[in-house]
Parts: sequence; structure tokens; C-alpha cells
Amino acid sequence: MIRDILVMGLDTMKSYKIRTFLTLIGVIIGVASVIMVTTAGNSVSSFIAEQWNLFNPTGMVIGTGTGGATPQLSIRSVVFTTNDVENIQHLPSIKIVAPLGIVPLNKILKRDGFLKWESRPGEAMYASTPALLEILNLELSEGKMFEEGKNEVVISKNVAEVFGKDKPLKIGDTIYLRRVDGKTLEAKVVGILKESSTLSMFNTLSTPGIICPTKPYYSSYFGSNVGTLLKRVVAYTVLLAEATDTKHVEDAQNQILKYLDGTGSDASQYKDQNSDFVVITQQYILVRIDQVMSVIRTYITAIALISLLIGAIGIANIMFATVTERTREIGTMMAIGAKRRDILQLFLYQSMIIGFIGGLTGCILGASGSWFVVDLLNKNIQNLGGAFSAGSIKLTYAPEWFLIASIVGILIGIVAGVLPARKAAKMDPVVALRYE
Amino acid sequence: MSEYVIDIDSLTKIYKTGKTDFKALNNVNLKIRKGDFVAIMGPSGSGKSTLMNIIGCLDRPTSGTIIVDGENISTVSDNQLAEIRGKKIGFIFQKFNLMPTMSALKNIALPMVFLGGTKADRDRRAADLLAKVGLTNWATHRPSELSGGQQQRIAIARALSNNPSIILADEPTGNLDTKTGEQIMELLVALNQEGKTILLVTHANALKRFSNRVINMLDGEVSEDT
Repeated sequence: MIRDILVMGLDTMKSYKIRTFLTLIGVIIGVASVIMVTTAGNSVSSFIAEQWNLFNPTGMVIGTGTGGATPQLSIRSVVFTTNDVENIQHLPSIKIVAPLGIVPLNKILKRDGFLKWESRPGEAMYASTPALLEILNLELSEGKMFEEGKNEVVISKNVAEVFGKDKPLKIGDTIYLRRVDGKTLEAKVVGILKESSTLSMFNTLSTPGIICPTKPYYSSYFGSNVGTLLKRVVAYTVLLAEATDTKHVEDAQNQILKYLDGTGSDASQYKDQNSDFVVITQQYILVRIDQVMSVIRTYITAIALISLLIGAIGIANIMFATVTERTREIGTMMAIGAKRRDILQLFLYQSMIIGFIGGLTGCILGASGSWFVVDLLNKNIQNLGGAFSAGSIKLTYAPEWFLIASIVGILIGIVAGVLPARKAAKMDPVVALRYE
Repeated sequence: MSEYVIDIDSLTKIYKTGKTDFKALNNVNLKIRKGDFVAIMGPSGSGKSTLMNIIGCLDRPTSGTIIVDGENISTVSDNQLAEIRGKKIGFIFQKFNLMPTMSALKNIALPMVFLGGTKADRDRRAADLLAKVGLTNWATHRPSELSGGQQQRIAIARALSNNPSIILADEPTGNLDTKTGEQIMELLVALNQEGKTILLVTHANALKRFSNRVINMLDGEVSEDT
């Protein structure tokens, strides 16, 4: 009986091919867009989470800015002295700390006999200590780390090819670094960084280019330029630190803040009155990313759900039209023995079938469509370059959404079909038979 | 079991139209024997359609009783009414009322679907009935591919599918030319000779001759019964 009525419903749908097809499209687009949006969102967030997770979970950035529940780092004032670095290093929950000084470069030069190469402007150099590599999880592919006080630098693979892929810089090469203040410093390449596919805190500041010791590069540059300081001392904008283990990240954070805010630190002296000390942990960044991602996902999913709603309205609309159009047929069916329940089922099955087929097709289409979306995202990311250029987004499906979308498809069919089907079933056979 | 297949006792049907009541049937008493061929005649608004709807179990009386083939339909539920309709009444309409999306065979089998039973049985019976109305070669055709006369034959076959005791024909020749109409009437006469009770609702005086009893309706009452 149910099977017969189901077959009758299918037959009717086959007879109204275009109508059925158009109604299906509404549901298919709705379901497919939900799948695509959630998959794209899921892929991007797992990409970001993966990238950040590879970086040390005990890591943190120390700087100045706005404190509070959502701390903000500003890279404007230089307040942390070498003395501060040493004192923070001795805090109980701190494993390691490294300063980070930015040395903007005008260009990189190299002489080879009578030949001279110059790079394009815009490279940035970071002055730090050998501890930086450990905090940032960076490794050397060849050579060794620089020594403090020597004219040595470690460069990235990108910088090694700054004069062209055919003329790569090698260990032992001498290059000349022209700073924005016009001073040119000699440097010997002692190490080349292993290419990292991970997005680290460091990458986000800029593309990792050249890492140099603070002495002689940073200290001399800095000392001649800063006027806000009373004494000519070496100071940094940002410090990078690592806690002893993941359980002590919060302790480390509190200890650092306590030290910095206290009278014992140099930084408290140099700090601008209006800004606070800020310690941003890796964990905090992950939480923030997650928050941002979930807000974005919620909005996009809401939009996708609206298209599902439109699909549902499409079904309801077409079913109402069908019921009205077939009034006399309904009357006839009742006259030849159809019960109200039979009529209800006949129309409900039709909208359920549309919802089911639409949901299923939408899932398949959404799954394959997601591939294109992620591919497109990857291409765009590569065009953007910079921090995100390393690595690519992997297609990560959100399996629960396939189930949700299919069920929602069928549910939409039922919900959208209930009112029209009830209208059909409630008809008075006498009136329905007279309908022209 | 009573000799009457339809037994109507002081049947009244009142339609409420806004504030005024309209008495479509007024205290109708009517008994129809099994195997009768009855023509119900009368002008528009005389109550003949209302009477037919009630006999056809599509509507319930306001008061009075009506027993159709042993079932008192004044007191049954919608579902039971639908089942009685399916089992005991075969409808034939002026406009044939076939399902446009179904083949001739499926149209004939439709009343059996609502009563259950296996598909094989239904298909066999539908094919037999198709042969009975002489349209075996048209089994897979849809109504739109058939002539009016052929459609009405399919409708008659459909009316017979659950082997009802009563055939209700509402102006069955109204949409057909005279010659085709005659053929349809002859088919009904043949069914009557097989023992079916036939109720024919019509305006056409020419159809009287096929019946053995004529009931004239006027203003909701039986005015003449011959």
C-alpha cells in the first residue's frame, strides 16, 4: 500500500519533469552550499590550527600595547633591555627567552671579483640570540648558528636565492647589508634555515629573511637612532619566550607581567604611560583564531541555511500549486475509495522524495564543489604570498554536516509538504469533484 | 439481507450558506431494488446531485437514514465511508475523471490500490476489465491519447474494478456524441443485465428508455416515481 502510493508519487513526478527538476535544483543548491561552506570553513580552520600547533605550544610574545581580556600588541615602542631579557630568563617558569629587534634593510649586496649584485629593497632582518631558533622551532639545513658579536648571519632559503636561483648564496659567502640609515655592514653567511612549511609567529611578522646577532648589527643601529631613551641603551620592541611546559604557560605569563610591572625592570621605566605590558601566548592566539573562525563560519553557514530555506519555500510553493491544480483528481481518488490518509501520503511522499533526492545530490555536488573551493583558496593564498605562502589547505570534510544536510533535505521536504498535503487531504470530495 | 440495495428513509440535507439554510433534500423516502436500472432526473437545483452524492457515500445526510448495501452510512467515520465507497460504489463521471498521468491499465487498477491486495492480482483484474470494455490494445496509453468514448470505457472498467454492487453514473454521455453515447449506454445495460444496480443521473430524456424506473426530482423532493 505505502509502496504503491510511493510509486504513484514517483510516477506523477516523472510526468511533471521540468517542475520536479526546478524544485530539486532549489534543494540541491541549498544543501550543496551548506556542504561547501562548512567544508571550506573546516578546511581553513584545521589548516590554521595545524600550522599554529606545529609551533611551540609553550611559546609567547612579550610586548607593549593594550592589556585586558583581549590584549593587543603594538610594535611601536622599544622598551625591553638586555637586562630585562636576562631577568626574565631567570624566572622559574621560563625555559628560554630571546629578544627580537627589527633591522630594516635597504638592500643586500654581493661582490664577486668585479661583478656586483644588488637585491631589490624591502628585506627585513631580525636581530636576536641563538635561542630564537629553539623558540620558533626553526632548524638549519646546513651550516651553524651565528655567534654573538661576530659579523655572521643565518639566512632563509628565499634569501639564499635573492640573486637568482642559479646564483644561490652559499655557506661562507660574504654579503653586505645596507641598512635604511645608509650604513653598510659586512656579514658572513654561516647557516641556511631549513624550509619550514609551518606558519609560525615569526612568519606572521614578516617573511623570515635574515637572522643576525644583536651585536654588532642591532645595537649600533639602535643606539644611534632612539631619542626617547634617556640613556643610550640597547632595547627591543618584542621578546619571545617559552615556558618550561604547557602546564606552566599561565604561570610564566603571570611571572613575566609581575616582573615587568614591578620597579625592578628597565622596561617599566621606558614604557609609555598609556600602554600596558602584554604577554600573548600561543594558546591565547589559538583560542582567538578559533573564535574568529567560528564567527565567520556561523555567518556563512547562516547564509547557506537561508538558501536551504529558499529551497523549502520552493517545494511548498510548487506543492500548493500542484494540489490546487489536481483538485478534481483528488476528488476522483476520494470517490473511488482513497482515504484522507492516502491523499496525505501521496503528496507528502512527493515532497519527501524531492527533499531526499535533493539532499543526496546536494551532498555529492557539495563534496565535489568543496574540492574546487579549497583549490581556489589555495591558489589565492599562493597569490597573496607572505606569511601564508608556506603549505596549502587540505580538503577537510565536516562529516557531521553531510548527515545534517541530508536529514535537513528530507525534513525540508516533509515540513514544506505538510501544509499542501493537508490541504489536499482535507478537501471535501463533493466540492473537489466539482472543481474546474 | 434486505431486497433493497438502497434504502432511504426521511432523508434531509441542509446546506448552510451564510445565515440562510438551503434545504437541498427534503424528507426523501426511496427504496431501490438490487438489479434496478434507475434514472434520476430533474432540473438543476432539484436535489438530484445531492441525492447522488449521499447515495455515493461522498456526503452525509443532515437527518434521516440511508442504508447502502446493508451499511448505514449516516453514522460511519470518514475512513469507513471511503472504504464503503471503494467497495460498494462504482463512479462514472460526465468528464471521465481519469488520472492524466496514469496509463489506462493503472487507472483501472487505482481503486484496488486503495483497498490493498497484491499488484499481480490487481494487474490481472485490470487487464480482464480492459478486455471487457474492448480496449486491450490501449493498456499503456494515457487518457489524453484516447477518444472520449474510449476514456469513458476506461472509466467504466475502473468503476467495476472492486466489483461494486452499485454503479453511479452522472451524465455519462454528457461529453460524448450521440452514437458514442448510445454505445456507452449499451455497455451500462449489459452491466445491469449482469446484476449490477445502476443509478443514472441525467437531464437527457432520451436516456429514460434504458432504465426500468424513472425518479423525477423537484425542489428537493421526489415528484414522480415510475
